[in-house]
Amino acid sequence: MVEKKEIEHLADLVKVNLSEPEKYIKQVEQILNYFDRLDKVEFQSDETLGIQITTEDLRDDVHIPYEDSLIEHLKKDQNNFIRAPKMV
Amino acid sequence: MNLGISATEFTSQVSDGAISVEEFVAKTLDRIEKVDGNIRAFITVDSQNALGKARVIDKKIKSKEKIGICFGMPISIKDNICTAGLKTTCASKMLESFVAPYDATVISKLKSEDAIIIGKVNLDEFAMGSTTEFSHFGPTRNPWNIEYVPGGSSGGSGASVAALECLAALGSDTGGSVRSPASFCSVVGLKPTYGLISRYGLVSYANSIEQVGPMAKTVEDVAFLLNIISGHDAHDNTTAKNTRIDYVKDLKSGISGKKIGIISQMTGDGVDKEVECATNGAISKLQDLGAQCVPVSIDAVEHSVAAYYTIAAAEASSNLSRYDNLRYGFDFGIEGYEFKAFISKARSNFGPEVIRRMLLGAFVLSAGYYGKYYLKAQKVRTMIKAQLDEAFKNVDYLISPTMPILPFKIGEKIDDPLKLYLTDINTVTANLSGIPAISIPFAMSRSGLPIGIQLFANSFKEKELLQAAHALQETTKLPGIAI
Amino acid sequence: MTKIGLEIHCQLTKLASKLFCSCKAEYRNTKPNSNICPVCAGLPGSLPMLNKKAVEKAAMISLALGCKIPEKIGFFRKNYFYPDLPKNFQITQYNAYGPTSIGSDGKIEIEGKTIRIRRIQLEEDPGRLVYEGTSEKTMITLVDYNRAGTPLVEIVTEPDFETPKQVRVFLNVLADLVENIGVSDPYLEGAMRVDGNISEGDGNRVEIKNVGSFRDIEKALHFEITRQQSLVERGIQVLAETRHWDEARRITVSSRSKEEEQDYRYLPEADIPIVQIGNNSIEQIKTQMPESIVARRERYIKKYGMPAQVADVLSSDKFYSDLFDKSHNEKNAKEVSNIITTDLMGVADTREKKIELKITPKHLSDLADAIMANTLTRNSGKLALHEMIRSGKSLADVMSSLDLGHVSDASSIEKVIDEVFQEEEKAVAEAKQNQDTINYLVGKVMRKTKGKADPATTLDILRKKLAV
Repeated sequence: MVEKKEIEHLADLVKVNLSEPEKYIKQVEQILNYFDRLDKVEFQSDETLGIQITTEDLRDDVHIPYEDSLIEHLKKDQNNFIRAPKMV
Repeated sequence: MNLGISATEFTSQVSDGAISVEEFVAKTLDRIEKVDGNIRAFITVDSQNALGKARVIDKKIKSKEKIGICFGMPISIKDNICTAGLKTTCASKMLESFVAPYDATVISKLKSEDAIIIGKVNLDEFAMGSTTEFSHFGPTRNPWNIEYVPGGSSGGSGASVAALECLAALGSDTGGSVRSPASFCSVVGLKPTYGLISRYGLVSYANSIEQVGPMAKTVEDVAFLLNIISGHDAHDNTTAKNTRIDYVKDLKSGISGKKIGIISQMTGDGVDKEVECATNGAISKLQDLGAQCVPVSIDAVEHSVAAYYTIAAAEASSNLSRYDNLRYGFDFGIEGYEFKAFISKARSNFGPEVIRRMLLGAFVLSAGYYGKYYLKAQKVRTMIKAQLDEAFKNVDYLISPTMPILPFKIGEKIDDPLKLYLTDINTVTANLSGIPAISIPFAMSRSGLPIGIQLFANSFKEKELLQAAHALQETTKLPGIAI
Repeated sequence: MTKIGLEIHCQLTKLASKLFCSCKAEYRNTKPNSNICPVCAGLPGSLPMLNKKAVEKAAMISLALGCKIPEKIGFFRKNYFYPDLPKNFQITQYNAYGPTSIGSDGKIEIEGKTIRIRRIQLEEDPGRLVYEGTSEKTMITLVDYNRAGTPLVEIVTEPDFETPKQVRVFLNVLADLVENIGVSDPYLEGAMRVDGNISEGDGNRVEIKNVGSFRDIEKALHFEITRQQSLVERGIQVLAETRHWDEARRITVSSRSKEEEQDYRYLPEADIPIVQIGNNSIEQIKTQMPESIVARRERYIKKYGMPAQVADVLSSDKFYSDLFDKSHNEKNAKEVSNIITTDLMGVADTREKKIELKITPKHLSDLADAIMANTLTRNSGKLALHEMIRSGKSLADVMSSLDLGHVSDASSIEKVIDEVFQEEEKAVAEAKQNQDTINYLVGKVMRKTKGKADPATTLDILRKKLAV
């Protein structure tokens, strides 16, 4: 069972305010119940898929300045700082 | 001048001097002007630039200068692929005015071959959906019947090709987002092998399984586009090396003597009768061409939708964290806010489907549940791939209907997310396993709605896959959209 | 018993580029947000491109600390919202689902004590925050992402320290080590940051954060031990909490914003494939590893017969041991090491002073040769060294400008002795009985020759003249 408190905790983790938590409770619960089938699968292998590369494929350590002044494309103050709200 | 020609017919007509690029682009823009009020495929139309480029290309042709192989072909781009100087909104309020300062790798490649980006097209917000209804800018409609969904999430790409508003399009496919609209709009759409095409500049939704995919009227056009956009990229560590292959060459090799497996888990229960009938039709056409068709069981498919949504939601919840409205986003001052209150307020502008998936993602990743959901979902991926590898020991291709159902009406399933998720049953397997899959328009329902057939091949076997798809498309004679 | 564990963050300041993009790793002294690109600013569509050298250097640190390096390494996302994180997650490494961080399970001996290393991980540094405004209403946070993405190695120890002094010794060794490997300049501001955790007996564990310099960690730990012990004495339980070091008041304070048990929702970073390290690359990395401090010390003792103390001092200072290795040859090694350890290290003992030194390996080698060939006395050698440090001129130039040439021919010395005999009649008479007075006369000769007279020759002639 998904409860209101739990949905609100999840909403807090992903930083959204839910205007109608009840609507999400029912849907999320229904979908999670469906996901539960994963728990019953018997697996032969613990391996996971994924691409593998070697250190040779990695980027060489070279400084290349970005060709553009990126900050000009972002929200900024007159000193080129990004402004964020207070933290407390 | 016929807007219904294929992309490759366009290139030969332009190079022959039979048509001018400017004229074709202008006519395409007229067409968008005329029909897009109904279809609503486009979020941004770049008319001025498109016409300007067309003129430059015409001039080059006249003066016999070297020219890219796209010859000014107008292409529409899903609005989650970054285009320098042109808005990339992801159909979200969060990015409604975002202009990326750079081109995605696929865009640079298209531009360097003289393709013309005619505009950016609609999608479900951040590509989360299969109907293109979950867009901040409203739903796109199916050109075959505007009361119906065009599929999704690349609904704008599919609809713009079908409605002759462009010659080809790029979409992105995370769980079927290229193939679903290809099927519902009666165009060809390819989900390539994971790692074949650079994702640099594709705004991430579920980055471990998604790929950019070409969409066009013909398999040949798709092969043509794949030649341009595939290949290793120094900006994407997940792209494979040594993958440059000519997909157009030998396209007409046919499929005589090939073996095709019919996936029983995708063709039985829950498949619409007319879709089933079309699938059988496709199978017998392929047999007529000399292929041998046998039933194949991939029983891990039963777990695929749960695994897909677990992984997609988990990755989405992380990928979408960066949208906090501090560095870019919409206008909304920070004064008087505390950090958490500010970003929570800003992020509440995500649409309901995005919020739903972020909540699910947070749940399946939270302490204590990782092993129960996320890790299990990852193991399902391994299991599916192992079963597919086993199947490909005996067969060259696999076949299924792309979508188990016909296009449905806008609003019909919008309030039942799980029901909607379950319609992805035939498409998510390719994403979870990384293998390529293509949707080919094959039939029309009695009510005049398109039905697509899906073919799969093993990883990096796009050349063979396109050969089979071409052979199947050659057997069809489908109506075009009335102009 | 006190148990202390450490978490050390060490920037790889010697790399050219950031961990995942080609922006500069060295972000200091740059205008706000001028060292950023779509990747480190977390723009939509950007992808991280792992720096090969960062992996190699982190592997070197792991090897130097006796850690195991897994066959494959992987990266995870640590999800939490903070304005210094442009993506609102940090790309780091995580071992909860199997060891995939660059190092784990190591140990290092510090003054006979074994400190176990739990894990070493490679991660990106966040941006920097500046707080502006005074009143509640006007307060805002300013963010500079120049630092965001700087390669960082996190070293986590087991709680094996018992005293703050052991911590200090360990940190000094660690600082020398990263400097020696050539991955970091630990003395740059913010390049090496330490958090500690500490518990008394079976008591709760307290985390100490926000310790600005790693010199302050010793003070913070001392304060915290006293605080915990006095609580225990009074029968009060120590709370499991995070405390911040208040630099101004020199105390630890309970963190006001009580961070609830954060749920970081770790997930594999799929944009960075699993990287196979493999035995071959580890062997290759081993060959690229600079000589360890211990090996260097051994070499100094065995090859050059340096006294253990001199070898100790020299080998643990990267700057001076590099200078030594570039300056000396087979013959003058011992003399060069003498000059460095007795004279040079006293003159320039800080980073700033070392940078200002104008001395070159050739200066040192020439100086040692001159002293050994007896063309310069030790005393004059000192003067010459100081002048070379100041001006950077060659030894020959310095010797002639300071008139430091060595006088060893008997006739010139004899002339000076005659002068001294005339001036010091009384002393001369005394000297025939008293050895100390002979030394007094030698001193006079040295003063007259500005230290250039060869002491042995001078003594010889004096003895002869006095007939003692």
